[in-house]
Amino acid sequence: MPSTTAAAEKLLLQMVDDYTAREIAPQDMPMDAAGDFPAGFVQQLTTTGFLGLMLPQEFGGAGFGPEVTATALNHIARGNASTAVTLEGHFKTIDQILKFGTPALQQQLLPSANDRIFAFSMTEASGGSNPMGISSTATREGDHWVITGDKIMITNGGLAQVYCVLVKTAPQELSVFVVDQDMPGFSFGKREDFIGLRGTPVGEIVMDHIIVDDDHLLGKLGDGGMIGDSAHDDARILMGAVLTGIMEHELKIATDYAKERKAGDKPLTKLQVTHRKVADIAMRKETTKLLYQRAAQLKAAGRPYSEEAAMAKAHGSRAAVSAGDDTLQILAGYGYSREYPVEHLIRDARAMEIAEGTVEKMRSAIANAEFNK
Amino acid sequence: MSKPELWVIAERRLDHVEPTTQQLITKAKHLAGDHFKVITILLEATADHLENELTAYGPDEIRIVRDDRFPTATDAEHADALKQLVDDYQPNSILFGATITGRSIAPRLQAKLQTGLTADCLDLRFDDDTLVATKPSYGDNIMCEIICPDHRPQMASVRPNTFVATPAPGDAKITTATVTVHPVDRLNLTTARPVVNTATTVGDANRVVALGRGAASAATIDTATKLAEKLGGRIGVSRPLTDQDRFTHDDQIGQSGNTIHPELILNFGISGAVQYLVGMQDSQTIVAVNADAQAPIFDVADYGYVGDAQAFMSALLAQFN
Amino acid sequence: MKIVVCIKQVPETNDVTIDPVTHNLDRRGLAGVMNPFDKNAVEQALQLKDADKDAEVVLLSMGPDDYAESLREGMAMGADAGVLLSDRAFAGADTLATGYVIAQAIKQIGNVDLVLFGRQAVDADTGQVGPIVAEFLHQPQITYAASLRLSGTNEVTAERLLEDTKQTLVATLPAVVSVRSELNTPRYPTPRNIQLSFAKPLTVWHHDDLDLDDSRLGQAGSPTIVTKVYAPEPVKRELTPLTGTPTEAANQLITALKNRQLI
Repeated sequence: MPSTTAAAEKLLLQMVDDYTAREIAPQDMPMDAAGDFPAGFVQQLTTTGFLGLMLPQEFGGAGFGPEVTATALNHIARGNASTAVTLEGHFKTIDQILKFGTPALQQQLLPSANDRIFAFSMTEASGGSNPMGISSTATREGDHWVITGDKIMITNGGLAQVYCVLVKTAPQELSVFVVDQDMPGFSFGKREDFIGLRGTPVGEIVMDHIIVDDDHLLGKLGDGGMIGDSAHDDARILMGAVLTGIMEHELKIATDYAKERKAGDKPLTKLQVTHRKVADIAMRKETTKLLYQRAAQLKAAGRPYSEEAAMAKAHGSRAAVSAGDDTLQILAGYGYSREYPVEHLIRDARAMEIAEGTVEKMRSAIANAEFNK
Repeated sequence: MSKPELWVIAERRLDHVEPTTQQLITKAKHLAGDHFKVITILLEATADHLENELTAYGPDEIRIVRDDRFPTATDAEHADALKQLVDDYQPNSILFGATITGRSIAPRLQAKLQTGLTADCLDLRFDDDTLVATKPSYGDNIMCEIICPDHRPQMASVRPNTFVATPAPGDAKITTATVTVHPVDRLNLTTARPVVNTATTVGDANRVVALGRGAASAATIDTATKLAEKLGGRIGVSRPLTDQDRFTHDDQIGQSGNTIHPELILNFGISGAVQYLVGMQDSQTIVAVNADAQAPIFDVADYGYVGDAQAFMSALLAQFN
Repeated sequence: MKIVVCIKQVPETNDVTIDPVTHNLDRRGLAGVMNPFDKNAVEQALQLKDADKDAEVVLLSMGPDDYAESLREGMAMGADAGVLLSDRAFAGADTLATGYVIAQAIKQIGNVDLVLFGRQAVDADTGQVGPIVAEFLHQPQITYAASLRLSGTNEVTAERLLEDTKQTLVATLPAVVSVRSELNTPRYPTPRNIQLSFAKPLTVWHHDDLDLDDSRLGQAGSPTIVTKVYAPEPVKRELTPLTGTPTEAANQLITALKNRQLI
């Protein structure tokens, strides 16, 4: 098999840019308005081969590595952050099956990841930040497991067909199983009506005595907390990439506008107040980019990347909200108008101060990593 | 040695002569001076008299080859006939319209003659007997002057509507020539029917309301449409607006194709990239409205207003109403 | 069936400038991409291959070594192989000298049934090489095809759209066809096919790999010479400013247009 080369990555990004400009970016505003995406959009992502971007070639995917995968999501997010986040949810789930699934489970499931969306679900109504507080369970009955419980606020929930679910296998034991929407006892629940990333479906699944065999367990019994952390780490790199894309979009709107407009006789580009804002947006964008790329490099090199991934998301989410705010202020009345995408970019960015661990949790993780050095 | 003949290859368009032919005759007469004879080469069916559409433009000679195959002949058959004429008469230069037909036959003839051809020219001149052809490239951003110093004939195809056809005195002597038509049986034209083309291009309009990035909102486009109707004209756009679904290449001014020269053009919210300006600067009356007083569009305009495009457009429309 | 698609690599954007000192075209920093019109030709070839699994699609390009990128992109779209004609001796060729080398390479590839071209390159905008190659190969040509299909074992049928005429043409293979951009929407290379394309053969042919008459190559074999390259300078006019409120300015314009008998 050919290796991933710089030439292949260049072609990939060229294709991603092309496809984003023509097909994905034009859907951004309509998706936000509708709180949904058009029929056939998943089919589009399938046909284009985006779903298999980082899936190893042995499973029918393209097998691109962590760095260029993150860069690809960065580029997609320049035109449409929701679509990039849908792919982020899919990729982080595939990553956990690759890390913790048995070869047999991988063979069984992963080829379908080229045309089915995968999702990873942890949160329950009892709260997202306290895994031990969940009430979903998998209980042993004979030679199989019976899974029961509700999972909410799942990225791609309702859209995905395959779900990794965090459940209790004992009062103080968390484990992750893989379930499929076609299994008896599986149903979809409520769909969230969020204020941002409105083109990414987020919803609930209900598991009522779903029966699975041992081979649907990821890792070992009790590995659930660790697998959940791992999924967060992988997601946070990609979110740093998505946030970079949002800031690149904001920066372009701000500079395009400043280059065309005047305040009185003076072009906006000659005003120091514009300089300050544009420079800040650019610095926030660039620092976030460096952080996610650094985390992706460490991941590609097989080294620990948890802290850097947390930094990319914690820094990037606030940075993108602030950059959006500055962009809005440069555009003034136009920025506050729904006709321009600025307000919607702020709402999109704001989601990432919450999803995949709040910024507060992220700061604790970073601080603890520093204490342990 | 080539003879001092400057050829214009007449193109047939259904039952008429394609208008670029007359435009080229006028231009060729300007180029020819006393040095060259302007010869129009016309390949037509035995019953045709397309030369009647050409005499008023005053070429020195209309050299006709008649064969009933010509109206449906393929590119290769046309090129073969022209090659025989070139061998017989040794012209200095040959001009084609850069129509689809012209751009298909000319390079085929070029290859037979192993000479130089410059495509889609926007200007022509002679330095002694060397034809200097000006050709745009990079989407009209760049102009190149191209010569063919050591090979004859020199060949060029010229973009339609680059020159204006003007009736002129001249002998318009009608002569006939003969060639041997070699039918190519590996390619057959099985049907040819006129396309009722209701889609006009901005190049066809005599009054144009042109919109750019600074006049791109739905409301502005709506006002502009009404204004264009009042003027009996059409909307045209600069490149950024072709990203909108409602505009196509047919609406675009200035980039690779639609060079226009209407009697009146009103430019709204167009700053004036070079290829845009070059694409419309031959318009008779040019009006520009732009928020930026430094916009290059004002350099080529007869009348200019610095201010909001939508506000001016609405005021103008109100005057008409 | 063996199909050759001729492609050219062009700058990513047409926003080129003239160096004020050297008066040369400044192409620095411009990435090369496959000529967009050529993608329509590649797509057409791939559709013919979709209908006939035995069809083989070979991409052919002439240019420096980095033109391999465009060939690779076409192979990622689904073409089977790429051939790059690269040699210092080919440099500086105009359309005639380019057409000659391309035609010789098509002969070298051998048993080619169909040669496809895009309508023209977006940089030079000539559209000449297709008909030149057809002439050198002594094959029938269909330019500006609006549709193309196999209509027999050894025959293609095309619709050709002239400015106001639609023609139907039937060609016996081998033939040369150039296609309009309206003909199709080129497929995107999928990420996986991008990876797999690196296992497909990309051959570079140099001068000695082809049967060539040296006098017909490069600058020496090119009848045309570019003597001057310049950015067009719009002709300036004397501006009459319209002043005051939009309504006042509109009134001034109406008066001026009336004086010019335009309204």
